[in-house]
Amino acid sequence: MTHMHIPDGILPFWLWMGGYAVLAAVLALCLFRLRGMDRRKKIPLLGALSAVMLVAMNLEVFPIAYHLNLSVAAGILLGPSLGFVAALIVNVILALIGHGGITVVGLNTLLLGAEAFFGHALFHLLPASLSVFWRGAVATVVSLLLVSLLLIAIVGASHAEVQAFLHEHAEHGEGGQGGDAPASASLATFAVIVLSLGAIGWAIEAAVTGAVIRFISRVKPDLLAHVLHASRAGRGA
Amino acid sequence: MIDVARIDHWAANGSSPLHRASVAAKLLFLLAVVSAAVTAREPLPLAGGYLLLIVLAAAGGLPWFSIALLSLYAAVFALLYAVSLQGGAWVFALVLLKAITPAYAVGVVIVSTPYPRIFAVLSAVLPEIVAAGLFMTYRTFFILLDMMDNFSTAIRLRGGLTPGNIVRNGGNIARGLAALLVKAVERASRLYAVMSVRGYSGSMADRGAGGWGRNDVLPVAVGAAVLALTVLWRR
Repeated sequence: MTHMHIPDGILPFWLWMGGYAVLAAVLALCLFRLRGMDRRKKIPLLGALSAVMLVAMNLEVFPIAYHLNLSVAAGILLGPSLGFVAALIVNVILALIGHGGITVVGLNTLLLGAEAFFGHALFHLLPASLSVFWRGAVATVVSLLLVSLLLIAIVGASHAEVQAFLHEHAEHGEGGQGGDAPASASLATFAVIVLSLGAIGWAIEAAVTGAVIRFISRVKPDLLAHVLHASRAGRGA
Repeated sequence: MIDVARIDHWAANGSSPLHRASVAAKLLFLLAVVSAAVTAREPLPLAGGYLLLIVLAAAGGLPWFSIALLSLYAAVFALLYAVSLQGGAWVFALVLLKAITPAYAVGVVIVSTPYPRIFAVLSAVLPEIVAAGLFMTYRTFFILLDMMDNFSTAIRLRGGLTPGNIVRNGGNIARGLAALLVKAVERASRLYAVMSVRGYSGSMADRGAGGWGRNDVLPVAVGAAVLALTVLWRR
């Protein structure tokens, strides 16, 4: 659960608008890197990976309400730039089916895109002496941990303003107890829930990602090469 | 699990006034409801807005109850967030309604508008790679859903799911997902090649939002009413 299912109207305006601003900047950088890409090969791969991510997100792990993301697998197979575009596509479609708000598409894309980026980087940084399965699995766990910390930071950033709003209402006697609890304590509750349930999910995600990458390395190893430009073989994303 | 295939069926086969409304009008309606949720500081006006949306869906012949269930999906994480705020019943109500009201509006839009029409409008503002990727994802997703059905049947028939053996089951599911991925890439590549032969060059044929008509009045009016309810309540 490393992307936020936070609906519209909860996060402060500056935060989600900031998310869209950073998204625009990162997307511009990605599109710049993708110029002249071999579209005939890469657009179908982008569509297939994004669709598989959506299918995986429909597979809920009972009873912890965790669903697979496969964003790290997408990062490994697509590279960071195209992986970020896949993250945007998946989040736009998720928002259109009511799975997360429209206003948080920017922040969610940054989180999912960061998973793809970290996953790609770690997979290639880990020593080749490790098996493909373990490189995929370790890259997944570390990426998901890093992005979960980012998620907690974002929620923490939103808490200061939300708590102030709740405190204001509590003072006006509108039934809430908001503001009574320190923001740090409530954020700690959130962090404990996300990290404890998330850890189980990361293990599952790591096993699945490792197995998927191992299968692909045996059956279709060219997918792991992720060469963007047909004329510049050997240059990665 | 969100049944995207069922949503697509409702969107493509309905003939309600909302189906006949233009995409632009429905996006305006969505924008108004999302703005209402963003600006709302009280649960009551949002509750009124939510009820109004249910009336709109029911009056328009849409599957109002299924949309309500769909909107409750948004409540799960909202409740987790509400728990983290430790704010009592008032906070729970506000956070929950901020979640489910726009989610219901999204539901109304998606069950009354085929995705290609939404994508056509989005592709006018999105970069070409993203628009092409959205379209390919949409097409491949439905191919994959069919393949998933076949896969789950095959894995059961071949004894791939053993009760209690989590590791073995997980391994088989992971290999199945990987096989699906490889097949999805092959199918998507073939689809893209066929589309290219037929003249596809990264843009959709229907890029317009459609003209305005009398069917547009209903969604725009309801969206404006929900927004007015939350804005006026604050004064």
